[in-house]
Amino acid sequence: MKRLLVTILLLFSGPAAAEDLVSGISQDVVQITSNYTGTDIVVFGAVERAAGPQGRNIVVVVRGPDEPMTVRRRDRIAGVWVNSDAAKFQGLPAYYYLASTEPIARIAPHDALVRYGLGLQALRPSAIGSHHDPEPFLQAAIRYHQRVGLYAESPGSIDFLSETLFRTRVPVPAGVTRGQYNVEVYLFRDGEVISAQSTPLFVDATGLERRLFNMAHDAPLSYGLACVFMAMLLGWISSVLFRRPG
Amino acid sequence: MEIYLPVAEMSVNWLIIIALGTGVGFLSGMFGVGGGFLMTPLLVFTGIPSTVAVATTLSHVTASSMSGALTQWRRRAIDFTMAGIMLIGGVAGTLCGVWLFALMRRQGQMDLIVALTYVLMLGSIGFIMLRESLATLRAYRSGVTVSRRLVHRGWIQNLPFKMRFRQSRLYISVIPPVAIGFAVGALSAIMGIGGGFIIVPAMIYILRMPTNVVMGTSLVQIIAVTAITTVLQATSNFAVDIVLAGLLVSGGVVGAQLGVRAGAKLRGEQLRLLLALIVLAVGAGLAWQLIARPADVYSLSEGVP
Repeated sequence: MKRLLVTILLLFSGPAAAEDLVSGISQDVVQITSNYTGTDIVVFGAVERAAGPQGRNIVVVVRGPDEPMTVRRRDRIAGVWVNSDAAKFQGLPAYYYLASTEPIARIAPHDALVRYGLGLQALRPSAIGSHHDPEPFLQAAIRYHQRVGLYAESPGSIDFLSETLFRTRVPVPAGVTRGQYNVEVYLFRDGEVISAQSTPLFVDATGLERRLFNMAHDAPLSYGLACVFMAMLLGWISSVLFRRPG
Repeated sequence: MEIYLPVAEMSVNWLIIIALGTGVGFLSGMFGVGGGFLMTPLLVFTGIPSTVAVATTLSHVTASSMSGALTQWRRRAIDFTMAGIMLIGGVAGTLCGVWLFALMRRQGQMDLIVALTYVLMLGSIGFIMLRESLATLRAYRSGVTVSRRLVHRGWIQNLPFKMRFRQSRLYISVIPPVAIGFAVGALSAIMGIGGGFIIVPAMIYILRMPTNVVMGTSLVQIIAVTAITTVLQATSNFAVDIVLAGLLVSGGVVGAQLGVRAGAKLRGEQLRLLLALIVLAVGAGLAWQLIARPADVYSLSEGVP
């Protein structure tokens, strides 16, 4: 939906807008290797036919693949904390990072932010399974992702190298899900989006990590047996190595 | 020092994981328990998803137990007849436990049931062991010779299908060992543990096996149960991380060897006293988690079960 909006915007905003946007990313594939501890990608761009920095804002958003999640609430029943209520969400991203020239709430009105899904408070799940008010559960899901570093808003983190040239660093932490990410760059002028660009970014494991992951899912029986065999073999080797002479 | 875990999809400090494996392995070699009841909470504490922690701990338990069992085997301190009989119940129990696991998860109160079971079991077993080992130690200090009762009283002695267990110097019905094996197999699948902390007291206090045979025999039982459960977890939940398992196992087997050495230097009742204290401490910690106000009353799990 949001991607569609961005595309439509791209198609129709061309000739009418005075200003335009070109952007790129430092790498379009992030490879997860055995010593992967997270990396940064650089998103950069330039404003063409710039009309001055006054009233102009840049917003960079990186969204991970959608991930279904269940949020449970615990209540105290007879002195024990028990899971009592739950909400299930579809369509929330596994990763969300927003960099902007100003705090996002100051850039545009709330309904515009919701339309483009800009800012953590503008995240809306596509499907909700809950008997009650899902809002506190949604806030809990956002809080959880912020705590583990998978959701973040970083106002003021876009550097202007000149009047028109900008760049920002986007962290890709170690806990990210594999899949297709989307890097979106928005150009705001007086609270209105006048140009936007979207570039895919792929996060994938390589080498041994990829083979092990694939084996765990494609040949689970052999994988399980391999684990047991490895455990038994190492157990046996250690007992031989540690055997006291005589 | 960081390494990426392909199934858990996260990076961990491998030195910490190896240290965890070694420490828990030491305890497992010393007491003849698998250590799953310690390892699973510790892994979750380092940030590994609980499904992966539960499923991967089993490999660590298999390896530590294998290492310990081989050492006990050289000492001829394993009753294979007893282990075999218990395993009949163990296999049935594991399959039954996997079915129960799915059923409880559908009810949505899986976590609570597991935690309550842990607290009740650890609490009662720890208390019984503590009382018994303290009484024995006190009697030993005051110079009174305590004669171990080798004859069973009451209903256990009256059960049919008696068998001779030469290594354990027992002549008892096969029903209690099969029943214990079944219960431990079921608990293993539900709680992601080898079940040593239940088997060991059960062998000592219900079957009245000699303590020196209990260690090796329980390890054989644990190897079999955890191996079966690992394969079931890998095929049904895709939750076994082989890199994490390799790290845990590498530390665990070394720890287990050192633990067996340390355990051989201690007297049986001293060992039981120490194990009782550890079991009680873990039980108290879990009970605290149930009654203390959580930092965030909301919790998140990926996927929609």
